[in-house]
Amino acid sequence: MRKTTRKFLAVTAGVASVALLATACSGDEDPGDATSGGATGDSSKPITLTVATFNNFGYTDELLAEYKKTHPNVTVKQTVAAKSEDARTNLTTKLAAGGAGLADVEAIEIDWLPELVQSGDKFLDLNSDEVKDRWLEFKTKPATTADGKLIGYGTDVGPEAICYRSDLFKAAGLPTDRAEVAELLGGENATWDDYFKVGKTFADKSDSAWFDSAGAIYQALINQQEFAYENADGSVVPLADNTTAQEAYNTVTSDEVQALSAHLGQWSEDWTAAFQKDGFATMLCPAWMTGPIEQNSGGITGWDVADVFPGGGGNWGGSYLTVPAAGANAEAAKELAAWLTSPEIQIKAFENAGTFPSQTEALQDPALTGAKNAFFNDAPVGEIFGNRYAAIKVTPFKGPNYFSVHTTVTDAITKVDVEQSADAQTAWQGALDAFGALGL
Amino acid sequence: MSSIPAIQQSAGKGAARAAARRANRKVGGYDRRPHVVIYVLLALVVLIGLLPLYYTLVIGSSDPVAIAQKALPQLFPDLSIFDKFKEVVNAQSFSFWQAVWNSVIIAVVVSASTVMFSTLAGFAFAKLRFPGRRGLLVFVIATMAVPTQLGVVPLYIVMSKLGWIGHLQAVIVPSLVGAFGVFWMTQYLEEALPYELIEAARVDGASMFRTFWAIALPAARPAAAMLALFTFVAQWVNFFWPSIVLNNQNPTLPLAVRLLQQNYFVDYSLIMAGVFLMTLPLLVLFAFAGRQLVAGIMAGAVKG
Amino acid sequence: MPVKSPVAPEDELDPLPPKTRRVGFSQTLSRWDVKVSPYLYISPFFILFLITGLFPILYTGYVSVHQWQMLQGQGDFVGFKNFTDVFGQPDFWKSLRNTFSIFLLSSIPQVIAAILIAALLDQNLRAKTFWRMGVLLPYVVAPVAVGLIFGRLFADQSGLINSWLTAIGLPAVQWHVSPLASHFAIATMVNFRWTGYNALIFLAAMQAVPRELYEAAIIDGAGRVRQFFSVTIPQIRATVIFIVITSTIGGLQIFDEPRVFDSTGQGGASRQWLTMTLYLYNTGWSGQYNLGRAAAIAWLLFLLILAIGMVNFFVTQRIATGSGAPSKREIKAAKQRYDAQRKSA
Repeated sequence: MRKTTRKFLAVTAGVASVALLATACSGDEDPGDATSGGATGDSSKPITLTVATFNNFGYTDELLAEYKKTHPNVTVKQTVAAKSEDARTNLTTKLAAGGAGLADVEAIEIDWLPELVQSGDKFLDLNSDEVKDRWLEFKTKPATTADGKLIGYGTDVGPEAICYRSDLFKAAGLPTDRAEVAELLGGENATWDDYFKVGKTFADKSDSAWFDSAGAIYQALINQQEFAYENADGSVVPLADNTTAQEAYNTVTSDEVQALSAHLGQWSEDWTAAFQKDGFATMLCPAWMTGPIEQNSGGITGWDVADVFPGGGGNWGGSYLTVPAAGANAEAAKELAAWLTSPEIQIKAFENAGTFPSQTEALQDPALTGAKNAFFNDAPVGEIFGNRYAAIKVTPFKGPNYFSVHTTVTDAITKVDVEQSADAQTAWQGALDAFGALGL
Repeated sequence: MSSIPAIQQSAGKGAARAAARRANRKVGGYDRRPHVVIYVLLALVVLIGLLPLYYTLVIGSSDPVAIAQKALPQLFPDLSIFDKFKEVVNAQSFSFWQAVWNSVIIAVVVSASTVMFSTLAGFAFAKLRFPGRRGLLVFVIATMAVPTQLGVVPLYIVMSKLGWIGHLQAVIVPSLVGAFGVFWMTQYLEEALPYELIEAARVDGASMFRTFWAIALPAARPAAAMLALFTFVAQWVNFFWPSIVLNNQNPTLPLAVRLLQQNYFVDYSLIMAGVFLMTLPLLVLFAFAGRQLVAGIMAGAVKG
Repeated sequence: MPVKSPVAPEDELDPLPPKTRRVGFSQTLSRWDVKVSPYLYISPFFILFLITGLFPILYTGYVSVHQWQMLQGQGDFVGFKNFTDVFGQPDFWKSLRNTFSIFLLSSIPQVIAAILIAALLDQNLRAKTFWRMGVLLPYVVAPVAVGLIFGRLFADQSGLINSWLTAIGLPAVQWHVSPLASHFAIATMVNFRWTGYNALIFLAAMQAVPRELYEAAIIDGAGRVRQFFSVTIPQIRATVIFIVITSTIGGLQIFDEPRVFDSTGQGGASRQWLTMTLYLYNTGWSGQYNLGRAAAIAWLLFLLILAIGMVNFFVTQRIATGSGAPSKREIKAAKQRYDAQRKSA
């Protein structure tokens, strides 16, 4: 009943506007009007498949043209959005409008998964034997719906290490060699306490802060929890009873840790400027963060990467390819998505754009293991982030309300850490009020 | 005394303009050259307006290291910006000339239709009496109060039903005529077009449309020139809606310029070079339209 | 005032032989012409509105009385629950406050500055074109450049403005902390872009003011300021109304500037610069993807803008008519005096 009303409304509106315009509505070019979820992968008809990506997935025209070798009837076209926010608005708008105009293969970011997994029926189930065991569980689990559908193939990941300024370390009398730094921070079994303790040693001898932003630390802490804000069944833990979140909050807003903070909001103007002013000595640093660091640190030498992360492994960011079910060539699109996310192609993408591949097999590839980053003192980034990737043990569960709740706490942290307009107690009360307003 | 419009009809525009100038010169009081203080004040206003453009040039000719280090990497732009221009024009991810062409089509078509339909509607609202006039005008203004953000989903549905997604008409058609233009022309003609002129034309037996064509249109010229300019610029820098219905296979300039930053690694000098290239046609347009505007105002000042 | 037949363009629409005295078909036609033409002239707008405007509005109304997620689509009919939910949100009231504050900080100085700049431009300047176009420059610069520049001006620690303030011994302003300071910064961006634009609109109206009126005023011994208030302002009344209304409608829909004012686009940690349009966008497109509630906000915003627009309209009309505008008779008398003087000269 509900569905028919909506369809009826949309169709009437469409018919009405067509009549009004009195234009002979030319044949729809967009796959998507006809909901023929899962056309057969008939491999003789020439078809064109579109892939919608954002930022830079490393899919060059030459790379896409390679698909023709094995699929002579398929032409692959790519549409690129500049920023992930643009792509997100685009995707949600088109899904809300019924799926018209969507590409055959749509790239998404890990942060959008909670709401997309909720509407798993809008996407093709991508499970197949071919891609079994291609990824670690932490990559596939978030993209799996409650009833076991896999809606996205992983492209890249953001395994986290610690980036540090060896010149500032040296001035403060700390070791500068990346292996020694990793050891100093606790090595294999590094804890957050180790990280803050070394920070204290550093801060006593330096004018620079130890880390850039308490918000970033909190995010990493929360990302190492399997159930941060919601239970396994998706029900939300009332924030007032949420000891996990409160402990993490208390840690980053405590006086000791606040003394180590540069009090910056990431991506803000002040944060960007702080790179030039020796604002902080270390950063939690997913593989892709090496780019922004290099860009903001023009003229500064001394950045390096240590193969260590407090509290076990951590992941921040990464993307997937999905296949909207409304597409006319859904099955062929699934094949293409599987090919694009295969280890060998993702290695090529890594060579093109530096996106760190999420396929376990790709980690052994010499192209990856041999990768060095000149700006980071020739650190063997391929190897380091490969190790960091292997260290990720926890898959944080993110239900539909994850980000709403998360925002209430991060806003409180911003008040304490960046704005310094409230003390930890008051700000937490503010978070509880904001949580109450969510009406969950 | 024969009025300027009469001269225009009998002896052409040039003569009319000359007559207007003469008439102005004869009168001593109002048309004397203004005091130097006024120039200084205006210069300040223009300087503040120029700063962003200047800044885009400076950033465009600096290297990323310098941009990261200083808010103002160098005092003056230099020739290196031309290398950036080349890079923008030859970008891999989109066809620059296609983007320029699309932007030109959209801006020209939308400006022309906006001016035409707005002047027609403005003439009717301002100078003709018909049942429901006031209510309809209020309704037109009310449509401006609809928040654009929320119209996106339903408007997208309409466009996809028409099969226009990815085509320029998805951008052009919704903006063929807007409430702003209708309201603007109504208010302008209210003041600038004396009833006597219309009545005279009607007494002479001119049809409604001829009255519009011969009386209202000339009177509306300065406002029309400005509306065209505003509409052109607004379409030229429009980003949000085109980004939803078009893509980089068929982009407009703002979409293309934004594509220059498709990386974690943003090269601001490249983006600013793109921004400047994007603004350049508008500056050229200004040089032309500006003269038109001044001339239009001179010729279009209809006196009763 | 010459009563001459204007030069007609090729015009098939003209059914009237000139100077007809016959009663009959042609007159009927002409009566139809008078009756139908106005509707014909305004029809393009309304037809287009039917296609691209009305459906979205009705659709939004339909969505607002349902439980409606962005992606899952329509849920149950809930009546006015979305509206009451919105009223229960502290963020809604905050966004209302911020919207008004930013609107006042941007619109009022903007209109005053625009009218003053227009008055400067309305002189017999050398290089008219240059000045007119120069004033409009901020309007053409792409928002991305403007955002970059103002970001570097208003950064709390590393911003240029704060470094100047501290250089002359004043305390730095926390642009991204204090609500009022953030409103001021956002209003500055808005004013930067729109002041010159409004000035040109005013200028077009001022140019249409009959010069004889000024001459008459000069003869009556009025100085520049007096001329401005007694001649210019009353004569451009309709344009003042236009600017006030459009600035109101635009000012209550400010979206881009607060969105790019920090990197999160959430309107600040305490939502101190969250505007209503930003609130509606974030409600629908992020967080809980609550399109039903976003539609309710859109309708509330629509009604609010309408109400304020109407109030403005009547107040402006009052002020403009009651500000000592010369009546038609006075204008005529002034003109006669002026003509008499010219003849004697």
